Amino acid sequence: MSAAEIECIDVRKVYRKDRIAIPVLDGLNLRIAAGEFVTLMGPSGSGKSTLLHLIGGLDSPTGGSVRVGDAQLERMSERELTAWRSRHVGFIFQMYHLVPVLTAAQNVELPLLLFKMSAAERRERVATALKIVGLSDRTDHRPNQLSGGQEQRVAIARALVTDPDVILADEPTGDLDARTSEEILTLLNLLNTEFGKTILMVTHDPKAAAHGQRTIHLEKGVLERDEVMPRKTVAAASA
Amino acid sequence: MNLRLLYLARNLTRNRIRTALTCAAVALPIIIYVLSTAVVEGYEEFLEQAARELRLAVTQRTSIINPLPAGHRPKIESLDPTGARLVAVCGMRWIGGRIENDPRPLSTLAVDADTFPTSFPEYLRSPDEREAWVRDKQALIIGRGVAGQFGWKKGDRVTIVPSVPPYTPMEFHVVSTSEEASDPLTNWFRRDYLEEELRKSGAPEGLVSFFFIKCGSKADLDHFRVAIDALFARSPDETKTQDEKTFMNEYVTQQFNLPRNLRILAAVTVFVAVMAAANTMSMNFRDRISEYATLKSMGFSGGIVFTMIQSESLLTCAAGGIAGAAVPYVLFTHTPMKNFTVPLIQHLDIAPAVCGQAVLIALAIGLLAGAWPSWLAVRLHVVTALRSLE
Repeated sequence: MSAAEIECIDVRKVYRKDRIAIPVLDGLNLRIAAGEFVTLMGPSGSGKSTLLHLIGGLDSPTGGSVRVGDAQLERMSERELTAWRSRHVGFIFQMYHLVPVLTAAQNVELPLLLFKMSAAERRERVATALKIVGLSDRTDHRPNQLSGGQEQRVAIARALVTDPDVILADEPTGDLDARTSEEILTLLNLLNTEFGKTILMVTHDPKAAAHGQRTIHLEKGVLERDEVMPRKTVAAASA
Repeated sequence: MNLRLLYLARNLTRNRIRTALTCAAVALPIIIYVLSTAVVEGYEEFLEQAARELRLAVTQRTSIINPLPAGHRPKIESLDPTGARLVAVCGMRWIGGRIENDPRPLSTLAVDADTFPTSFPEYLRSPDEREAWVRDKQALIIGRGVAGQFGWKKGDRVTIVPSVPPYTPMEFHVVSTSEEASDPLTNWFRRDYLEEELRKSGAPEGLVSFFFIKCGSKADLDHFRVAIDALFARSPDETKTQDEKTFMNEYVTQQFNLPRNLRILAAVTVFVAVMAAANTMSMNFRDRISEYATLKSMGFSGGIVFTMIQSESLLTCAAGGIAGAAVPYVLFTHTPMKNFTVPLIQHLDIAPAVCGQAVLIALAIGLLAGAWPSWLAVRLHVVTALRSLE
């Protein structure tokens, strides 16, 4: 069980399109404590996903610094970031992005191929991850044999299986109905409360944001509001 | 099964029709490569064998289609009255030919009966064949390929209609099927029989298409190649003398330039295979951009993704290459097609080494085909790729 603190200082990100500079993040400062569940909200183009990508080491800031645990990301090379991601970050995407030709268990096992461990240990970890997300009985199902909610659970298990410090979720319930969304959010709550994972989740849905401890509102690349949410326990969420 | 191998295998079978068509697109050029290489090697072996026979070919200087007077023979023979260095001079006249009501063309030559056995010792190997050749003016030596194609055998009477004068049907008696000769498709008969028929029809006599001269040694070959042309220089019928290998090579090149054209054909089809396989790998890449982006987000390096795509490309092309090499190998070594004959080539020998080369070419096709999508995958920016899918 591990978690990491996240710190962004004066983070700027400018995209260039056809020689035109498009500022997305403009001197953002943010600190997320280890083990916190924070949601990111804001209108389209406010920089939510960009911030998530910078914290996940998928992109580099134009200026400022991003620290996750002991890793100062802006100083790391592409190769170092790739290796760091495999050990410290778990991603959950809106569209799941499972490999369609592999079973649920094989999809969950994929990130473990980057680790030196025995097949038996890999199998054990996969079984545990699938058990946590409640899919022990779907291990041999392929993505096209699963519902949307089940696919997202597999994606969560895949993000969880390497025991990362941080879980980054980009609108994980954006493609799901209300009931299934609630189940997924409850699961994320569980990962946060029971396993102590630091979770940063992008969402447009205020109900989804209510599952976090804090909601950060972004507007035009700057932090507009940092709101502490009333804590929703796993038990309450389940009820 | 190891998950890496399983993933690779599942990728190969993800779009089975596409994979099968790509394998076929690689297999076909490989078949063409293997067959054309076998033909070219067989042809080169034929030329090497011709070079070992110590024979010179004498043709009309301007063109092989212009005949020479048969009277050149005693003049050539006079260059070596002892007959030790210039062993035999054999005049030949091409009549082509076909059998009635059959469109298949024949290659038939009328030759000097007395010097043919000495000039071409690979024919008439047995005493009874030689005796029949000397005794019977209508004797015919057929190539074993011709025997197979037309079902002819020793002792048969056959009628051939010449493609040149006298044009009238000529009856022959098969005395040999030349089992040990290098050329399986040419028929030989006595020129005195042709002269007799030409006389009857009133067509010009005393002409030959070319002479073949058997020499005693390599030094004699070099000597008489110059001496014969010098003998007829500035005469109305100047000659062009070449060793048999050069003559045959020139003859084949003039006819259809087989080796060059086969090599061009093989190269073009291999290029087409590269394009077909590259197209498949590019389509696969486009279909799986989100997958590669996800793998990279999980921490799979560009090198791993590069290896994945290259492995898939190599395996697809290797499968096509192995199938393409195996088909002609099995057909021409383990089925009745092993008796198939090609002009000038005794036996279409599909060498295992050529099959090995063909598989290596298929692997090279795989490497080339996978290069561009692999490179794109290495350069793939996860954020850009995922955004493009939203």
